[in-house]
Amino acid sequence: MSRIGVFICHCGENISRTVDVERVAAQVGNMPGVAFATDYKYMCSDPGQTLLKKTIQEQKLSHVVVAACSPRMHEKTFRKAVESAGLNPFLCEMANIREHCSWVHENREEATVKAIEIVGMMVERVKKNRVLPAITVPVTKRSLVIGGGIAGIQAALDIADCGHEVILVEREPSIGGHMAQLSETFPTLDCSQCIMTPKMVDVANHPKIKLYTFSEIELVEGYIGNFQVTIKKKARSVDEDTCTGCGVCMTKCPQKKIPNKFDQNIGMRTAIYVPFPQAVPNTPVIDRDNCTWFKSGKCGVCQKVCGPGAVDFEQQDRLIVEAVGAIVVATGFDLYTIDEKPKGSPIKGYGEFGHGKIPDVIDGMTFERLASASGPTGGRILRPSDGKEPKQIVFIQCIGSRAREKGISYCSKVCCMYTAKHTMLYHHKVHDGQAYVFFMDARTPGKSYDEFWRRSIEEEEAVYIRGMVSRLYQKGDKIVVMGSDIAVGVQVEIEADMVVLATAVMPQKGADTLAQKLGISYDKYHFYSEAHAKLRPVECATAGIYLAGACQGPKDIPETVSQASAAAAKVMTLFSKDKMEREPIVARVREAGCVGCFACKKVCAYGAVEEKEIRDRQGNLIKVVAYVNPGVCGGCGTCQATCPSKSVELDGYTDEQIVAMIEAL
Amino acid sequence: MDARVKKKKMILSQGTMDVDFVRKVEALSDTSVRRCFQCGKCSAGCPMATFMEHPPNRVVRLLQLGQWRRILEGRSIWYCASCETCSTRCPNKVHLASIMDALRKLSWDAEGPSKESYVQLANKLFLQNIRSYGRQYEMRLAAVFNVKSGQFLKDLSLGPKLLAKGKLKMFHSKNRNLSEIGKIFTRIEEMRKNGEAL
Amino acid sequence: MKKLLNYAYYPGCSLHASAGEYDLSTRELFKALKIGLTEVPDWFCCGATPAHNVDELLSLSLCAKNLELAEKVEGDLAVACAACFSRLKFTQHTLEENATKRKQVEKAIDAPVKLDGKVKHLLEILAGDLGLERLAASVNKPLAGLKVACYYGCLLTRPTDVPNLDCTEAPTIMERVIEAVGAETVAWSHRLECCGANFTLSRPGVVIQLTNAILDSAKAAGADCIMVGCPLCHGNLDIRQKEIEGVYKTNYNLPVFYLTQLVGLSVGLGSGKLGLDAMIVSPMPLLKEKGLL
Repeated sequence: MSRIGVFICHCGENISRTVDVERVAAQVGNMPGVAFATDYKYMCSDPGQTLLKKTIQEQKLSHVVVAACSPRMHEKTFRKAVESAGLNPFLCEMANIREHCSWVHENREEATVKAIEIVGMMVERVKKNRVLPAITVPVTKRSLVIGGGIAGIQAALDIADCGHEVILVEREPSIGGHMAQLSETFPTLDCSQCIMTPKMVDVANHPKIKLYTFSEIELVEGYIGNFQVTIKKKARSVDEDTCTGCGVCMTKCPQKKIPNKFDQNIGMRTAIYVPFPQAVPNTPVIDRDNCTWFKSGKCGVCQKVCGPGAVDFEQQDRLIVEAVGAIVVATGFDLYTIDEKPKGSPIKGYGEFGHGKIPDVIDGMTFERLASASGPTGGRILRPSDGKEPKQIVFIQCIGSRAREKGISYCSKVCCMYTAKHTMLYHHKVHDGQAYVFFMDARTPGKSYDEFWRRSIEEEEAVYIRGMVSRLYQKGDKIVVMGSDIAVGVQVEIEADMVVLATAVMPQKGADTLAQKLGISYDKYHFYSEAHAKLRPVECATAGIYLAGACQGPKDIPETVSQASAAAAKVMTLFSKDKMEREPIVARVREAGCVGCFACKKVCAYGAVEEKEIRDRQGNLIKVVAYVNPGVCGGCGTCQATCPSKSVELDGYTDEQIVAMIEAL
Repeated sequence: MDARVKKKKMILSQGTMDVDFVRKVEALSDTSVRRCFQCGKCSAGCPMATFMEHPPNRVVRLLQLGQWRRILEGRSIWYCASCETCSTRCPNKVHLASIMDALRKLSWDAEGPSKESYVQLANKLFLQNIRSYGRQYEMRLAAVFNVKSGQFLKDLSLGPKLLAKGKLKMFHSKNRNLSEIGKIFTRIEEMRKNGEAL
Repeated sequence: MKKLLNYAYYPGCSLHASAGEYDLSTRELFKALKIGLTEVPDWFCCGATPAHNVDELLSLSLCAKNLELAEKVEGDLAVACAACFSRLKFTQHTLEENATKRKQVEKAIDAPVKLDGKVKHLLEILAGDLGLERLAASVNKPLAGLKVACYYGCLLTRPTDVPNLDCTEAPTIMERVIEAVGAETVAWSHRLECCGANFTLSRPGVVIQLTNAILDSAKAAGADCIMVGCPLCHGNLDIRQKEIEGVYKTNYNLPVFYLTQLVGLSVGLGSGKLGLDAMIVSPMPLLKEKGLL
């Protein structure tokens, strides 16, 4: 016979205002199996928990129901208290009489009756609860970091500095990401490369960091503490160990007019190249689509001039499997373009701005490359069309961002600040020029940020115009900007030499595909979703996977670095124990009933269902049944609902428990 | 528009912000007024903005504040050409051209508080022509407009040229199904009387 | 002779008056291309801009009734006037989206609203249904050397999702049609700007200012002439051109053709069948100079 203890919480006045808690306690006390029932002002408080523990011992309780708030709030708290009193924590249930009752009703009588029913259901349920032992899984103390921008670099260095091995995977030939492309950074105007490149070198030299550049994630298997990751190392055509980085191959390559993506396609590179001089690793890669040897079998100059003989045309893509215990995703962002979007895409471009066909209408990143001392113009602001210095330059903010009509309704967060920075850089470089900025709002929260924006207006003489631009069109060698100043209430027309668009920050292309490989969720824009917007901002809902940087949403550098260090701290928390415990709310297959249809395997979002062979003593195969790997199972219960032969049960949520609740009604 | 009205201080309260009027505009135009965040892109591209005392974005702003009198007393809504540029380029899918239609209708119902009479007169004659003849006859439209607006000599020089080119029909007939057309007008009038339509 | 395609035809009021040459050239061109065109009996005014300007319900009802009349004639509905086209498409779009308005309109016309009939501008018929290849194959006199500024105005493409004739901000359908019959097109900035449309009656001063900018842009781009698909635009660009030249003390001399006149010319129709003499800015010197007449 169970001896159930029921504890009714007032939640200050949150519950007791609408629910007659004394009456609930009195009624519930008479229910069969209930040995003790009481009410208390704050069950979650220290005295409340003490009351709970003391009663369990004094009354020799077998099960506990706490009628209070949502289990999302305090289930952990009470189960922990129950455990410290010597009961298995899964013999404790919560009855939600706050969110499900007192908060949503006004009539005290009706609410009290409902509260009694809710508690009664949980009483019947808890009778069917079984002791569930904790599940422990081993932890592989190596971690994978995906993406070698500032987020990935910071996370990798922090984890590696703690003595744990890190596998850093970067899709491009060099690490550095977008931050390596920037000229100066706000709000201090320090040179981006000057602060970035030392960190890149640290990564290259760190004994605990294994770097895979020009590589992509092919497959992710396993679960928290125990992932197996297959990495595709694309053929570089240059042997990384042999190459000395002398660069002779690049000077001799006859293909010199290939637009360099790193320079936003305004600078040119050779077919064998490093994206930029400070690249890490400093090993060139052959762009096979543009290399004469790969196109026609002729040339081969790079191979001939290479002293150490590092150029290898025969190199193939390789697959490497690495075992890791945790994964940090730091794939960063991409910029929106105003081009015509493919039909069916929810994102639209800007026909009114010429769909990207006006040559001197560029985006902010291109401006960064123009302003960068190591960029294609050596830091001079020159127009892509004719190389002239623009004397009238117009910046337009919120391109794509905050435009639900274009398919993006969010604010890209960094554009206000970087546009202010651009006006300063322009003013420093073109003394007789004038910068204009069309903007809707200036969003500059952040340390020294608003002061920075004000400086661009007050000291650097940028003219800010509150209002948007309706159309841009080419007129001779000028671009006509049709705007409005809503403060004055009149239209504004500027004949500009160059226009810079602050285009929206979007997730990297292919972010959705990677998420599907990792089994993590993403929003409608393909930004990765954190487990809790406020309290678990760097963790994914999928255990063992963490987020850093702009792959989760638009972020500036300080925020990205903070989040990367936070993600690293989370990884280190996981690595602080040899084994980890996890909640035993997992599905269990009743092998006798399982017919091996694997409907459960098809619906499992966690990839937890495996095929298990059942053999007799002679080793003959009897049947193949489903097996749920308790380390991977997310406890969602989908398999239980799907199983046609009712052979899967979710511990803690068995059919017996649910039926008992319904019957109690 | 009276300059004093235009510059008069706005005293905002639940009493002075006419939400009911704004709801009517939203129902007629099938678009949300609150969605507008005043980026001014509509005003930037409006071909008629230079002729308006309230640029298009401000018309929406005044609606957001329930200050419709300031809009209707002015000429702005009557200078909208219905070119649809604002609706097309709005980042927020605010269908401003439809809002303008709704405002003109509500102004029209209130017997046109605006001093802009020429556009309203032209519209009125145009609709009368449909009811009386079924189709438009530009010659008649222009002639009556000039008489009623007191601009007897307006576009006088164009007349003979157009006549010579066969562009003005001197004679016109009525549609055979004129009574059917008339019924559409009366049914709509009845629906409005019965409160079945705005 | 068997017709290739058959359409119901809604000319609209202007084509029966000031834009007679658009009506004439449309009928003659379609005859030459062996496309059937049957005028909708008893059609009446769509309400144009003035109706929706002050009374959307009336505008929708007038168009819905006209759509019902058009059902009596076989084939999709061919519309020449951009304003009529816009209103009919708007009606279909609005009544599809808004059930309340649909109910009101059904009460006003005392009949159920039918929205499945297709409404097509002449451009869609030439570029889509007939197809540019077949159009090109019908050309007897290519418009070689003629530089055309294609003027869309407002109502053919805007707003997004309603006329669905072509891309709202960067349409090419006019250019594709006229290039298919051998003409050259110019790239110019004002092909989508508003001419002031029906302010021509109430506020001609507005029209003069806006239309001047359009003529100026076409001239600057090196166009020999302008091509339109809307009688209102035509009225402002052609009829008021001399007046504008006077006000701005300039000389444009840009003939303004309806698209059917230029395409008709290329298939070999003569001046009389295209109503070229009805144009205020005479195209004759230009056409003679280019050897097209």
